[in-house]
Amino acid sequence: MSRRLTAASLGAVALGLLMAQSGLAQEAGVATREYGDFPYIGSRVAVWIAAQVHLMFAAFVLGVPMFAMVAEAIGIFGGDERYDRLAKEFTRLLLIAYSATAIWGAVLLFFLTTLYPRFWAHLSEIFEVSMWIYVGLFFLESFTLYLYYYGWDRWKEGTAKYAHWGLAILLNVWGTAVMFIADSWLSYMMSPPEVIAADPSPGVVQLWSAINNATWMPINIHRFIANIVFGGSVVGAYAAYRFLAAKSDEERAHYDWMGYVGNFIAIGALIILPFAGYYLGREIYEYNQQMGITMMGGFMSWLWIIQAFLIGVLFLAGNYYLWVGMTRIPGAERFLPYTKWMLVVLVLGFIVWATPHTMIANRAELEAMGGSHHPFLGVLGVMSAKNTAVNLMILTTFLSFLMYRRANKQPVVKWAKTGTIIQATLFALSAAIVLFYGIYGYFVTAIVRIGFSVYQVIAVLATIIGVMVLDVLMLRGAESRGAIRWGNMPARSQYALFVLVVTFTWLMGLMGFARSGIRQHWHVWEVMRDTSQWAATPALGPAAQIISACVLIFLVLIAFIFWLGGLVEKPQLVPERPATGVTKG
Amino acid sequence: MWATNLKILSIVLGTLGLYTLIANGIPQVESEVPQELSFTGDVSAAELVSAGEDLYAGAGGCTACHGLGTRAPNLLSDAAGQGAIGARCGQRVEGESCKEYLHRSMIEPNAYVVEGFQPIMPDIRRALSEVQIWAVIAYLQSLGGEVTVTGDDIAAAQSASDVETADSGAAAATVATTDPLELLREMQCLACHMLGDEGAQVGPPFTGVGSRLDADQLRESILDPNAAASPGYEQFTGMMPTNFGQRLTAQQLEVIVAFLESQQ
Repeated sequence: MSRRLTAASLGAVALGLLMAQSGLAQEAGVATREYGDFPYIGSRVAVWIAAQVHLMFAAFVLGVPMFAMVAEAIGIFGGDERYDRLAKEFTRLLLIAYSATAIWGAVLLFFLTTLYPRFWAHLSEIFEVSMWIYVGLFFLESFTLYLYYYGWDRWKEGTAKYAHWGLAILLNVWGTAVMFIADSWLSYMMSPPEVIAADPSPGVVQLWSAINNATWMPINIHRFIANIVFGGSVVGAYAAYRFLAAKSDEERAHYDWMGYVGNFIAIGALIILPFAGYYLGREIYEYNQQMGITMMGGFMSWLWIIQAFLIGVLFLAGNYYLWVGMTRIPGAERFLPYTKWMLVVLVLGFIVWATPHTMIANRAELEAMGGSHHPFLGVLGVMSAKNTAVNLMILTTFLSFLMYRRANKQPVVKWAKTGTIIQATLFALSAAIVLFYGIYGYFVTAIVRIGFSVYQVIAVLATIIGVMVLDVLMLRGAESRGAIRWGNMPARSQYALFVLVVTFTWLMGLMGFARSGIRQHWHVWEVMRDTSQWAATPALGPAAQIISACVLIFLVLIAFIFWLGGLVEKPQLVPERPATGVTKG
Repeated sequence: MWATNLKILSIVLGTLGLYTLIANGIPQVESEVPQELSFTGDVSAAELVSAGEDLYAGAGGCTACHGLGTRAPNLLSDAAGQGAIGARCGQRVEGESCKEYLHRSMIEPNAYVVEGFQPIMPDIRRALSEVQIWAVIAYLQSLGGEVTVTGDDIAAAQSASDVETADSGAAAATVATTDPLELLREMQCLACHMLGDEGAQVGPPFTGVGSRLDADQLRESILDPNAAASPGYEQFTGMMPTNFGQRLTAQQLEVIVAFLESQQ
């Protein structure tokens, strides 16, 4: 007993000495060295790439479980086994991507601790408890994922299947909690609680006030939705590749359907993403006007023109995919003549949205323009016009979905004609409201004009919800004009899915740069300055090169991971249930 | 399949290349880090103007608002026939020279809010040092006016900065008085709050504040001004400095609280 105690005491002393020594070494390191230096590309770019690629994988592994959960539920409660197989295939992709996420997370952590030791010491002193919880949740998430995937075929009947679905819910709970914790660290860097601004020592910061900072919840919500968009687009691209590589009609049909589902998820969630972005932007302004102005009108003002261009591409590619997809749906011919007019609306909207207006300009540029705004574009590029354009683009995209959805269905309810007229009226009314406030906005002051965007958004959202509810009710028990010919899709439509995934990924990198860049030369806004040689925030050109490099790294790795996944197991293809002539609304 | 792979690769690289090309084709604006300036007493006006222009267009972030004329007055162009800022600054406030007016506008931006604009400008000392501020003033004066900023202004700013650095450990109590009215003036409270005929109407008035808030609420609104916005003043949340806890001694704080509480 005594010997054991002595041994234990010696062990404890040795451990204590070791820890003390390591602590001393760490303290000495922190005190003498503020920054490390990464060869060739520099510390800033090294951390940037590690963080961005980690985030891309993280968005994928957080987004995909959400629709795996929904797809499995449709399989269970709707009785369509295709969805269950789809959910399993999603999860199979997830499994390897999850390891890549963790690897890039470790790379980021090591880069931060070695290249930015002073900053990391500050962050870890405040957030240490949440970092421990994060690690715990990470374990729970990993093992829930393993159980979920490897238990799929074992727990596929009766009550066990519900328990299995419960694992999907649990997986999402852990994943969301992990994301919320990580978001608290990065949002603290943007918007530390104001009470600490006078005294920057981390010891005075309460953990909860640091977590619950001004931009934490807006970023949580924005990322939650964006992860769904991103996951959907990656799955769409995976399906597109498999479609193009398919050797049988059955395989082609399966991946055509999977690509459609991925695209539907991505574009559907994209439509609501701007509202979450608006909330985040408003909170940034509320927190600090200067930061908000830097973001929208300062050195980042041109970034929003690039963003408009990218979103324009997303709208065009998403709609194009739907329109081409309608060629494989019997009955869709009646809608095809309208697509050219919808294209006109989208292109016009795209042009208006991407028109520069409130740009930062130097004296020479102001003189060249003859004032603070361009004499012609100054009128076209104002927010009234841009809000009108983007709302009409959203309405047009929703109309595409509606036509796609109704293409092969013939409603049988008595009020079908009235319902369709009401739907058309709702569309016309909301378009009129959007146009009215867009034009009226030119005749009122800025403060009144800002309020008009709320009416425009409400009109569009109300139309989307109202029309969708009517459509679901109207198509109950509808007759089928013929089954969708899955697999009968031109190859060019699949390339649109690749454009979508590249654009979504690039957009994610761009917005990450915007969010992080508005801190400018602060590690923690107005609390801890970046005094390294890399403190200046680069202009959009160099930033774009790094973003493109990150996108390329991510796409190459994810392609490799998917290829590996294909080696492990071929998906079991389940044919669509035979058409009975009646479809569920 | 190789042909398909090649097509996919071309689309991916082409799309990436297009976005990179566009982002490189637009005007490139970098967010610079404000460089600390160090001038001798015989600094020339041209040197000051040049340094000020760099700060104005770059690290100072001034053009984000003042370059457009929508959020804040455009200082570079003609305003209502008065010329650029260098030409009009001397006539803005009676009894104040151009450089005095510009300096006060930067460190107490709410003292003079130009009609038609919101009081959104921060105290520029949060971003720039005193020497940098004087360099920006010299640049603004050069826009249609005469540069009157001299080496004396710079020397005074530098010595003030040195004193501040030496006293940084004891920066808490910035004034020694315990006279409440003097404290309110010294702490620039009246730049935003009205007390009788004195002060500006940006934040809630001090007149009658004792009937609206008790001592605890007053104390909280001084130490943590963003905890609860006064009704009708929500849009100004975030403007009031949050460092009075460091700048006032406990005695000074209590003197102010007692004084405000007495304003029934």
